Amino acid sequence: MISQNALHHAEKCRFCFMCRHLCPVQLQTGREINTPRAKGLVLSMVSKGAEAYDQAMAQTMYECLLCDACVNDCATGYQPPIYIREARTEAVVNDIAPAEVMALIENIEATGNIYGMEKPSFAQNGEEILVYLGEVASCKEEGMVKSFLQLLQKAGVSAKVLENEPASGAMLGDLMGYVDEVVQQAKACTAAINQTGLKTVVVLDSYDVQIMKQKYPEWGCEIQADVITATAYIAQLLESGKLQVANVNRGLAACHDDDRLARTFYEFAPIRAIAKAAGFEVTEMFNKERLAKSCGSAVALAYMPKIVTQIAAGRWEDLMRTEAKIMVTANPQAYLCLSQAIPEGYQLVDAYTALLSNLK
Amino acid sequence: MFRILVCVKAIPNTTEVSFDADGKLQRSSAELQWNVADLAALEAALTLRTPESTVTVLTMGPQKLEMPLKELLARGADEAILITDKSLAGSDTYATARVLAAAVEKLGGFDLILCGKQSLDGDTGQIPGMLAAALNMTCITNTENLAVSNQQCALDRILEKGIQKLTLDLPCVVSVQPYAYTLRLPGIMAMRKAREKTVLMLNTQDLDLSPETCGQSGSLTKVVKIHPMRHGHRNGPKEADLAVGTARILTLLKEVK
Ligand code: SF4
Ligand code: SF4
Repeated sequence: MISQNALHHAEKCRFCFMCRHLCPVQLQTGREINTPRAKGLVLSMVSKGAEAYDQAMAQTMYECLLCDACVNDCATGYQPPIYIREARTEAVVNDIAPAEVMALIENIEATGNIYGMEKPSFAQNGEEILVYLGEVASCKEEGMVKSFLQLLQKAGVSAKVLENEPASGAMLGDLMGYVDEVVQQAKACTAAINQTGLKTVVVLDSYDVQIMKQKYPEWGCEIQADVITATAYIAQLLESGKLQVANVNRGLAACHDDDRLARTFYEFAPIRAIAKAAGFEVTEMFNKERLAKSCGSAVALAYMPKIVTQIAAGRWEDLMRTEAKIMVTANPQAYLCLSQAIPEGYQLVDAYTALLSNLK
Repeated sequence: MFRILVCVKAIPNTTEVSFDADGKLQRSSAELQWNVADLAALEAALTLRTPESTVTVLTMGPQKLEMPLKELLARGADEAILITDKSLAGSDTYATARVLAAAVEKLGGFDLILCGKQSLDGDTGQIPGMLAAALNMTCITNTENLAVSNQQCALDRILEKGIQKLTLDLPCVVSVQPYAYTLRLPGIMAMRKAREKTVLMLNTQDLDLSPETCGQSGSLTKVVKIHPMRHGHRNGPKEADLAVGTARILTLLKEVK
């Protein structure tokens, strides 16, 4: 049951080949089926009854990071992730989604996170802002979480972190498309945020920001607070002088633009401001800002680790084309993926930890 | 059991329509999609539903609507009915309303019948009123904020210069504003269950309708010809000189009162 809207996006491709050169999955695997236009063709054939939607096709639909690089550059304005998400819904409904994907969905059902683990608690009871950490940061990037919370403390910001932070729906939405189960997670998350009564929510993971700002309003989930990215918030603290930094030079670095932040919100300046404040001289990779190449997502890393590690290596290759030996990121998912493939002699830096170590 | 019926229409994708040599709209080859106001009506029905009520969706159209109807089952409707018959082709609003009314009677009647305010293709907004007339029921159009209690329906009727708050006795026919409700997303389990469900198919014989009352022969209006609009062309000479052209545009704009 692929919607007419999704089919419209799938079928109107005019084969300009532009997205073929941008898709990070296709670039690493070299497989034609991994291009967004091939995925559209497959779905078009299925919708016309020429082919049955089978496991191999479903597998292909999961070989995508939903990074929007193709959307950014599609000459005709079509948005492959719309039909790719719906194809994932079809795969789950028809029980033909890859077993690795189904295992992650079961983990979410059992524990609320893809890792199937009890989420570590970073609960604190501040009164000024609410910090939403997200499951990847909480479960996998403890160092980044701690540095971020310490930065807030140093700036004198009284931050609250929920004891049982509900999932935003971003992970489930990537795994099974936007279905009612995701809306229910969004509703629970909205209710938990609103219950705090705080008027600012600072969100660490751009995947969570994206769903909160883009999809929640469509689903009638109204967060009664300003939702702001962690990078933008820290950049504001730097600008206002609440965070004072020492004058050191830690060498040349390039910032990895997190794809969801860069392409959904056009947010590129804060990560550079933080990197500079942390003492780095900032240079640029060719694929930067809205053209940033994805380095993988946590959810994709969990179900296709080999391909995502290759993709992360591809992002390091971008860095190798510059003079820099250091890559800076403030996104927990990017940090997790990039850390899978750090080349010898190169360094991955979490922007918050770096900044923390450079405070006056 | 409190029974709610939602009449839905599949309309051609408005950017994809084509016309035959006589200038008539070709529906058979067109991609179809549910009319947006009808989806709002379905959401209104689902919002009103209680454990003691059912929501049925009813449409008239080609057999290929079976799967799209199952999508509406996945969204929450309890049952779906498709009236499909070649003799219904070319029905105007009058003939369509008569067929829908026959189906309502055949199905044993409903407490509340909801329609979208109007369809995006025909754009007449006539079906709710005609259906109510055929069933001898009250009809209120262009509404939102529906609530049901004690065999009455309370609603807001959107008028040009205000909002009328009304309470009607049931059964009645109500048309719903397109943007008053957003249809909920389906869940995975609901989609699986919907695939197992059967869409009830009815034809004109099932509804005891004679061929002369259906389709074009049962219609009071005839579409003689549709002239496709020419985009980007207007009558009048082209002006190559920028200053003269600008002056002409300004004159034309001033003429528009
Ligand atoms: S969203 Fe990203 S990974 Fe997916 S097809 Fe488009 S470019 Fe490739
Ligand atoms: S960029 Fe757009 S039009 Fe070009 S091949 Fe990709 S999907 Fe098709």
